[in-house]
Amino acid sequence: MIWMSWRQFRAQALTGAAAVTVLAVYLVFLGVRIRHGYHDTLELCHRQGADCASATTEFQSRYESQLYFMDAIVLLTPALIGLFWGAPLVTREFEAGTHRLVWNQSVTRGRWLATKLLVAAAASSALTGAASLLLTWAASPFDLVSGNRFSTLLFGTRNIVPIAYAIFALVLGAVTGLLIRRAVPAMALTLLAFVIIQVLVPNVVRPHLMTPVSAAQPMTAQLIRNLSFLGQHPTISGLRIPGAWVTSSSELLASSGKPVDQAKYDACIGAGFDTVADCLAGLDLHVDITYQPVGRYWSFQWLESALFVGLAALLAAFGLRRIRGRLP
Amino acid sequence: MPPDDFLPILRAESLTKRYGKRTALTDCDLDIPRGRLVGLVGPNGAGKSTLLQLCCGLIAPTSGTLNVLGARPAANAAHLAKVGFVAQDTPVYSSLSVADHLRMGAQLNPGWDTALANRRIAQVGLSLRQKAGRLSGGQRAQLALTVAAAKRPDLLIFDEPAAALDPLARSGFLQNLIEFVAELGASAVLSSHLLGDIERVCDYLIVLCGSRVRLAGDVRQLLATHYRVVAPPAELDRLPGETEVIWTDRPGSVVRAATPPPAQWTARPVELEELVLSYLNRAEAGR
Repeated sequence: MIWMSWRQFRAQALTGAAAVTVLAVYLVFLGVRIRHGYHDTLELCHRQGADCASATTEFQSRYESQLYFMDAIVLLTPALIGLFWGAPLVTREFEAGTHRLVWNQSVTRGRWLATKLLVAAAASSALTGAASLLLTWAASPFDLVSGNRFSTLLFGTRNIVPIAYAIFALVLGAVTGLLIRRAVPAMALTLLAFVIIQVLVPNVVRPHLMTPVSAAQPMTAQLIRNLSFLGQHPTISGLRIPGAWVTSSSELLASSGKPVDQAKYDACIGAGFDTVADCLAGLDLHVDITYQPVGRYWSFQWLESALFVGLAALLAAFGLRRIRGRLP
Repeated sequence: MPPDDFLPILRAESLTKRYGKRTALTDCDLDIPRGRLVGLVGPNGAGKSTLLQLCCGLIAPTSGTLNVLGARPAANAAHLAKVGFVAQDTPVYSSLSVADHLRMGAQLNPGWDTALANRRIAQVGLSLRQKAGRLSGGQRAQLALTVAAAKRPDLLIFDEPAAALDPLARSGFLQNLIEFVAELGASAVLSSHLLGDIERVCDYLIVLCGSRVRLAGDVRQLLATHYRVVAPPAELDRLPGETEVIWTDRPGSVVRAATPPPAQWTARPVELEELVLSYLNRAEAGR
């Protein structure tokens, strides 16, 4: 059965392997260039002991768009696997009628489906893993400088989670195909479900995979400059603290623990764009935050991988039960 | 437990299959002995495919029971090995070659007979390297037949295998089918809406019409107990107890009788075709 599954899957797998090979060559090339770039700008600057803000910006802007593009490809790979490997896995048999041929060989339907899933899942893991790990390597100097490995884009395109996404997408596509029995609707539904899950998990589930740590964070001028939003009222968003993934933050609080006096806040806001940060920092403000320490990064990678592989296993069990029990 | 040889190849009790509101098979009772070549005839939509797909476990019955070779169809891998099935339109993997199909058979069936498969493929003139998608309808049917037979099943099931073939290909296919069944010592069930095919191949007959079994039995026995008689309608009503009128049309009536009809009637044996037609006509009229 393994031979048969592989024989049917071979053309698709080789196409995928060819695509990943092209990607890999480019990633190696990009990785080497990023390392040279790092060497030429930041490392040089650090050695001279100067202020490296402009060197950092230059380094980041030089590779930003290329890495975004690579991130997008690795982010898309699991979805493509679900669409073009998962959904057609059994619907192709239904549409060609060949399930009536293969289901009458001396192999039960359960074993047939399980083997097909395992072979395709192995290929999916190998290809996605190659792409993701190469990107992780290529981008590592850049990611180190950015220091936000917990951002939705970076977390979901680095290290091992993309492999788990790919396995999940594959099984999702296959089981959807098993229920719907036609390829195109199964592809559409797979894509829809996968996108919804990929939006929900980073925003709703991931922050709660481990209990966050609570702390009071003093608001320095540096932190205030990096905020993405300062409101009419003393609310903030986009707080970025090195070494932590901030999952929630309160409004600006005075040292008493009460919200900052609105009049003082307005005065600072009205003082002019350049001085806002220093003015606010002078008020001795802080915010109550909950955050995930950056040291938990690998715990999160493993937890989220386990979550997706677990979901895939549940889906596969459902599919096997379905194909064994209620005959279509 | 009786030895395998005495088990019926197929036993159905009030077997019923519904698709939503449409009933494809109603209260079907069958008991078919081993070693037969069973012909399943009936018009399109009579439920032939449904019955055969139930027999090989592709679909599950809505109610009733069905035993094939003493077990539920497709009960496990060992049972799957005992039943070969050639589906309607003889599906094959169009992107795989003939050799790939044989390798699939060898990989997926523990009882695969490589010699038999290779010999048959050579006999029907198929090239091993040819892609199945490029075969003609007749060649494809031969390939599907070989894959089903080379696993050496005890029962071969064919669902309208020759329907799409031209007369020459059909004749070759049926000849091959008979040879296979003889070589394997297997039983076979073959559905067709072409009576000629059934007449040529089968020694046991099931007539299916309007989702019900109308007639089932050994062909020779059926022919021996049916007559075409020409008699005045009034006399037909006063038939001896064991005689039943199946259908009346212009040249007379087809009757079922345990003993030959009275000598004063013009009676002659029926042919298989008019026998089947009389049951089909009765079924149609009774709707």
